[in-house]
Amino acid sequence: MSEQALQLPLPGFEQAETAWRRDYDARLGDAANPRNRSGIEVKPLYTAADWSAERYMADLGFPGQPPMTRGIYPSMHRGRTWSQRQLIGFGTPEDYAARLEEIMAAGAGAISLIPCNSVYRGYDVDEVDPVLLGTCGATINTVDDMDTALRSVDIGRISTAMNDPLPFTLLALLLAVAKRRGVPWTKITGTSNQSDYISHYVANHMFFRLALPGSRRVLVDHIAFCQNQVPGWNPVSVVGQHMQQSGATPAEAMGFTLSTAIQYAEDCRARGMDPEVFLEGFTFFFDISISFFEEIAKFRAGRRIWARLVRERFGVRNPKAWRFKFHAQTSGVDLTRQQPLNNIARVAIQAMAGIFGGLQSLHSDAYDEVLSVPTEAAARVAVSTQNILREEAHLTDVIDPLGGSFYVERLTEQMEAEIEAAVAKIDAAGGMYAAVESGLVQTLLGESACAFQDRIERGEETIVGVTAHRRDEEDFEVKPLERPDRARMETQIAKFKSFKAGRNQAEVRRALDELARAAAEDSGNLFEKTVDAAVAEATHGEICACLRRELGFGQPLVVA
Amino acid sequence: MTAPTLAQRPPKVLVTKVGLDGHDRGSRLVAAFLRDAGMEVVYTAPWQEIATVVKLALEEDVDVIGISSLATDHLLMPQVVTALREAGLGHVRLVVGGIVPDDEAEELLRAGVSRVFHPGSTREDIVETVRRLADDARAAI
Amino acid sequence: MTDAEELVARLRRGERVALARAITAVENETAEAAGILRAIQPHLGHARVHGFTGPPGVGKSTLVDAYITELRARGMSVGVIAVDPSSPVSGGAILGDRIRMTSHGLDPKVFVRSIAARGHLGGLSATTAFVVDVMDAAGKDVIVIETVGAGQSEVEVAQVADTKVVICAPGAGDDVQAIKAGILEIGDLLVVNKADLPAAEVTVKQLRGMLTLRRHPNVRGGWMPEVLATTATSGAGVAALADAIARHDDDLDTSGRKSGSGPRLRALLAETAARLVATRIGKLDEAALAPLVAAVRAGDLDIASAAERLLKEVTGEA
Repeated sequence: MSEQALQLPLPGFEQAETAWRRDYDARLGDAANPRNRSGIEVKPLYTAADWSAERYMADLGFPGQPPMTRGIYPSMHRGRTWSQRQLIGFGTPEDYAARLEEIMAAGAGAISLIPCNSVYRGYDVDEVDPVLLGTCGATINTVDDMDTALRSVDIGRISTAMNDPLPFTLLALLLAVAKRRGVPWTKITGTSNQSDYISHYVANHMFFRLALPGSRRVLVDHIAFCQNQVPGWNPVSVVGQHMQQSGATPAEAMGFTLSTAIQYAEDCRARGMDPEVFLEGFTFFFDISISFFEEIAKFRAGRRIWARLVRERFGVRNPKAWRFKFHAQTSGVDLTRQQPLNNIARVAIQAMAGIFGGLQSLHSDAYDEVLSVPTEAAARVAVSTQNILREEAHLTDVIDPLGGSFYVERLTEQMEAEIEAAVAKIDAAGGMYAAVESGLVQTLLGESACAFQDRIERGEETIVGVTAHRRDEEDFEVKPLERPDRARMETQIAKFKSFKAGRNQAEVRRALDELARAAAEDSGNLFEKTVDAAVAEATHGEICACLRRELGFGQPLVVA
Repeated sequence: MTAPTLAQRPPKVLVTKVGLDGHDRGSRLVAAFLRDAGMEVVYTAPWQEIATVVKLALEEDVDVIGISSLATDHLLMPQVVTALREAGLGHVRLVVGGIVPDDEAEELLRAGVSRVFHPGSTREDIVETVRRLADDARAAI
Repeated sequence: MTDAEELVARLRRGERVALARAITAVENETAEAAGILRAIQPHLGHARVHGFTGPPGVGKSTLVDAYITELRARGMSVGVIAVDPSSPVSGGAILGDRIRMTSHGLDPKVFVRSIAARGHLGGLSATTAFVVDVMDAAGKDVIVIETVGAGQSEVEVAQVADTKVVICAPGAGDDVQAIKAGILEIGDLLVVNKADLPAAEVTVKQLRGMLTLRRHPNVRGGWMPEVLATTATSGAGVAALADAIARHDDDLDTSGRKSGSGPRLRALLAETAARLVATRIGKLDEAALAPLVAAVRAGDLDIASAAERLLKEVTGEA
């Protein structure tokens, strides 16, 4: 602690500090210290009194070893750079395939798939106003669609992250495609991004929800199935992004996310699964705000807490399960519509914070993200930003380069305390599931959102180009937005309808009935039945409708 | 004491979302702004059907509807305007807030939307515009 | 035909816009309101009014939603009045209850109106009673009143109902004691929601025990308040609740305890008068009260007589 007497002899320290303080105060007087977004006071100077190297082994250690602060792998980005995993998704399956081919040609080595909002809501293309289709993601509803979308991808070799809402139909469709192509499921790698149903209960974004008890069951079934049949797949991606974007402070976002992971781990353990095994498949997904040092500290603290938590709460001895693996995305909430080129600078700073925080995989937003789906040109700049950070600024050369910084270590410790306080609050409420059921988390998020708005209005937070440094005229020309080609989308809808008509209807009926029965009777693995249904050529909308009927619909979040 | 006229009732505003997007941080903030300015706000969850929005606007006898939009949900606004008129609610004013490209914002205004608010709009601007539009709506009944 | 009579004729024909406008008029006590209230007089007395109240977090809105579903299944048209608190600072309000009534978002036979508990001239209960009357005149079979929040205004508004349902969640004995004050007193039916929770059974027993111990004001009419258990999220117990409510409605008809607009307004007048008197007494200065207080203390005057004198004093002044 900073109040501890220094262990190391530092002759002259106190004298020098006093002199500095005097000179500083002469210039700044009594100005109060600012607070970061998590409420932690930020001093003008951090010294060996705040943190010093005799704490090295206790606080930092070495990468890949407890306490894990410096990174989860021994070589981190120097051994293998973070995955440049740009989230993409747009238009029809063909549109997606074409864009994917471009991105891969430009150097992306891992792919992701963002489905259309209609897919998030559990609908097929024939159930939604066509004007809403394909604007923010690809309209993938059937095994044919998935096959088309991934036509150039060797799915046995390339890792895919899918934004795949419960009940994970996209993974089911991918496995159906694998079956078609003769690729064994044991070779399929990737992540069910945002498989975290609880995050859809604390913030409204796009995903539809099954009622809480049904969601709980489907997730554990999904984890169990993947563990047994698709062992290269990370079935759990616990999401901090929505909470932070919805108003949680960075410390709360980390804390509540850890609480969610704890809840899922307990649910799996209650099902008889072995934490030594399933915790390896737990991954995380976070927002990176522009509060640069706070985010670095947040990630380092989170990594340290997780490593300790899995050992203490779950008794896990498998070192692979101590690893806090996370993907992060630069936060769109900090970007502005005014003077959008400023966003390039913002994204670079956010990306750096994530890199210094030790992420495994990064998505950098395009500067026109706030205007709508990014244009190709802007998406290229976002990829270049990562290349520049890696290859020009050489950010991969040194592991945890800010380790040992007096400020960063002190802040990491303080963030750790805030994060643990958030976890304790959830523990006291009976765990994350109970806390969400009672509305506690939603209320806390609402309060933080209001508090942040107050800070902006009081001038404690500035938004360049918006609350300060405004220009009356914008000198940036906003090009008309790309929209999915209407004719191609009409063709897609027609294709979809004829796919439905041309299937073995009896097979589809059988598979959906089995899914419904398993749900109603509380027997069997629901994800296994979902995969069966996908293989039998049931559509995404049909599967979602079936489960919605049997397990109930989770009403949208209430926070007024 | 003379009974108040309808003009003196606090503005009544419906704040809602239609279409597929669910992000409601912005609409929650706007609802709070309007309440703090003395208005009565009927606030709903996202993902409302257009027919439901019309039903709400009718039953609550609102003056203004504020729709928060991300993605392309704003492309549904002409349908909302039509539905309101068909239900006898042509006097109700419609504003849209969120991410709307400039050219499409122009189209919305031509289709009958009163105002499009982009990210970065100030509290004062939103409150005063809604207040003025509520007066217009009341006068237009 | 005056404008008000025209509006009333239209709402009686089923025009929903007219109903909404008429409610706005009486809610805001506009110049039109008096005419509307007059014009609806001959058309009152059909609707039953059911009030739902209880502390926050018990699942009130979910239960009301399920109750409306049950009513609709029984073929009844429903009016709903959802009362939300107003901000004491700005006077504005967020009327959020409609968030929860999602099952009826498209049903034309369910008409939902939110009211903010702002400073209504005649008091919130009077405003609510008038809105009830307008919905009654429009032909609604059942009018459901739900108050959001806790406190005195909740109790006031619930009085407007013929059958009052008080909802609570399963809790330890202390919690049950806590909700006793005021709210429990008025319940014709007590409902323990979230009956799937283990503590529910105990809470039901505790409530039944409390009722038998205490002389309930409604016992006079022969109605013994009942305790029921529901799980609003699954619908369990809701049909039984609807039956119990209907039973209480019938009991009102047969027992001589009156329901309807007349008795509602009589009760409201009495309450409002009492409040006026209390306010005036509160405004008296110490000197006016001192002799009475002294006399009571000394045993020269009993409380009842002292109150009579005080009453003469504040009303005699007119």
